[in-house]
Amino acid sequence: MERIPILKMGEYLLVTIQVDMHDRVAMTLQDDLTARIVSAHAKGVLIDISALEIVDSFIGRMLGDLAAMSRVLAAETVVVGMRPAVAITLVELGLSLTGVRTALNVERGMELLRRRIAEQGRDGAGSD
Amino acid sequence: MSTGPASLLTLVIRHDQDVVTARQRAGTIADLLGFDSGEQTRIATAVSEIVRNAFRYAGAGQVEFLVDRGAQPQTLIIRVVDRGKGIPQLERVLNGSYKSSTGMGLGITGARRLMDEFQIESTPARGTRIVMRKVLPPRAPVLTEARVVTILRTIRSHQPAGMAEEFQRQNQELLRALDELQTRQEELVRLNRELEDTNRGVVALYAELDEKADHLRRADELKSRFLSNMTHEFRTPVNSIIGLCNLIVEDRQRDGHEVEQEVVYIRKAAEQLGELVNDLLDLAKVEAGKTPVRPAPVDVSKLFGALRGMLRPLLLNQAVALAFDAADDLPALITDEAKVSQILRNLISNALKFTERGEVRVGAALATNGKHIAFTVSDTGIGIAPEDQQRIFEEFTQIEHRLQRGVRGTGLGLPLSKRLAELLGGTISVSSEAGIGSTFSVTLPVRHSAAEEPALEFDWRAEPGKRPVLVVDDAADEHLIYEKLLKGTAFQIYPATTIEQAEHALGVIHPALVLLDIRLRGAESWDLLLRLRRDPATDQIPVIVVSALDERERALALGAQAYFSKPVPRRALLDTMDALTTSSSGSMRVLLVEDEEISRYLIAQALDGAYQLTACADAEAGLREARAHAADVILLDLMLPGITGWEMLDALREDASTRDVPVIIVSGSALDHAGRAHLLRHARDVISKADLTRERLLGAIAAAVGR
Repeated sequence: MERIPILKMGEYLLVTIQVDMHDRVAMTLQDDLTARIVSAHAKGVLIDISALEIVDSFIGRMLGDLAAMSRVLAAETVVVGMRPAVAITLVELGLSLTGVRTALNVERGMELLRRRIAEQGRDGAGSD
Repeated sequence: MSTGPASLLTLVIRHDQDVVTARQRAGTIADLLGFDSGEQTRIATAVSEIVRNAFRYAGAGQVEFLVDRGAQPQTLIIRVVDRGKGIPQLERVLNGSYKSSTGMGLGITGARRLMDEFQIESTPARGTRIVMRKVLPPRAPVLTEARVVTILRTIRSHQPAGMAEEFQRQNQELLRALDELQTRQEELVRLNRELEDTNRGVVALYAELDEKADHLRRADELKSRFLSNMTHEFRTPVNSIIGLCNLIVEDRQRDGHEVEQEVVYIRKAAEQLGELVNDLLDLAKVEAGKTPVRPAPVDVSKLFGALRGMLRPLLLNQAVALAFDAADDLPALITDEAKVSQILRNLISNALKFTERGEVRVGAALATNGKHIAFTVSDTGIGIAPEDQQRIFEEFTQIEHRLQRGVRGTGLGLPLSKRLAELLGGTISVSSEAGIGSTFSVTLPVRHSAAEEPALEFDWRAEPGKRPVLVVDDAADEHLIYEKLLKGTAFQIYPATTIEQAEHALGVIHPALVLLDIRLRGAESWDLLLRLRRDPATDQIPVIVVSALDERERALALGAQAYFSKPVPRRALLDTMDALTTSSSGSMRVLLVEDEEISRYLIAQALDGAYQLTACADAEAGLREARAHAADVILLDLMLPGITGWEMLDALREDASTRDVPVIIVSGSALDHAGRAHLLRHARDVISKADLTRERLLGAIAAAVGR
């Protein structure tokens, strides 16, 4: 079965989608990633879609769902490298990726994650 | 110029992957037609949505890409057809008020927004047909016929999946590497677990070694204790002997002093020492597994009689009685009598030690299966606590008790008895109650398993002062009759039930006489008689033939000295035996070669008056004497300084003047059967210094000189 690899980098997981996934591969990725967040105690997930030429409603929703699930599992998700044409098409499709944080590239995404996690740490400490 | 749309590509949608292929082809076609990248993405996305719907809701479908060159402006047409159930709430989907239960529902409206024109026909049960159009950009090259052909060729040759496949391959490799890592990690975990197990094993092994070392230490300690005990046991009689001897030597200056009692004491002490040595030897032999079992017929009542006699000296306490009772129906046992006797002796002497009053009862009864006999030794003594009942059979164990402290033991009696019982194929057990008494039971097979074949060798020991008589008779019970017949005489029977046994016996002992019973094996028995007469080594041995038939003439003709028909009259037989074996010896010369002064003295005393004795202290003098004055018999010690006894034997055999003189070896070491048989090949008889009595010596000399 075809699968998308998930790499662990410190406390983050990095998913680089390099192929045009068909729907089942996308669903499998969803399962794999949530399981991996739990087993690796990951605090953040970076999903690099710079190789994707199109993101249709299905994949868009999958990304949104992933972000929501990660949040439930106490991990932040950042989608990086979305092509401008893809972004425009998504908007025209009427798909708003609510709750999905995006960044220009992996570097920025990492920075964003770090900042978010630091903030959370502070907030958590304050509210305790 | 033809009008009408030209088909660029038709794809059938049946699998997940086909959706991906369709949108990728859509992107490629859009690119070839001159759409910019934004439009390419829009077209691909719209195709993806619609094709997915066809695949997901209708199960399969078909997508066709066409280009309408005739139209102004030129248009890309995408037709997606399926044969599904149709879309039930098309109106609501199209006006956006429909909410899909699957959370989808964006596809149709989204695609409609992305394309220039969007037509949908959906007939229930007939399927859905969607036609989408996108007008080619104004700057796009005009689609001439040639251009369309080029595009078609490009589409067909295009491998849109090339890049994707490469990625896919790399993904797979990455996944494999990850899998491998995982496997390796699991392997490491497994290895670690294995190492932990091994470690646990090593720790356990260490513990075991520690335990063994501890056990050895304890055994060593016990042996040391045992040795110091034994040393004491040895020292006591030795001290007595030295003290008594000093007394005698000093008192000889005074006249009329009675030394007899002192000598009796000395003998007692010496006997005690001898017993100790024998016990130690027995133990060493049993421990080394070198004790042979020599089964022979055993008469239980006779065995009990002997035990009663042997143990009487231990009955010092008047308050304790020693009773023997054997059941009447006991069959003749075939077992090793010496070992049974040793076991019972141990048990009885133990019982006597630990009984202050009451009785010690020794019994024998046949087991219900008829194949085993049970000997029991019961006492009314101190008893043994249950926790000690197994321990007493372990070596060097002595249970602490007031009576135990009074009587010294080696702690070997019961373990030795147990081993001997096991050697005989039996068991030993104890039942006891503290303060009431103990009962030891020895269960032995009636027939020792090795007794199925009559053994050639058995434990036969020359009784001091007796002369061996070889009794050849194929019935074992007949031997018992002869044994009774010769009881109290100077003769000791050596039983042989087969001709082979008889011939073997002639190699082991030098009988003073042969009693040959002619029974069923008639022919064989006569043959034996003939052989005895023809062999120069045996032609001097008198033979008495006994038979149930009248065969006197034949017996005497074949060389027998006497004949008796059955039943044999005891008196007449004994007289004949005496007559045949008694010799007139007064003038005979005996040469003694012995370096030990005490032995020389003892032998000289023993032969005093009966023979003329010449004694030499070494082999050289002995040889000189033997050549100078012909001796009738030579007594030879093998352990001599300078020339050894063996060399002297050879020298005697080489010299014609001494070759025929019979030699009796006087051996200082205890001999087993093999050693004895070996020596008998070189000498007429072998006497151990341990049984060096006057009677034994005279008997041996008489037999050697041929009465």
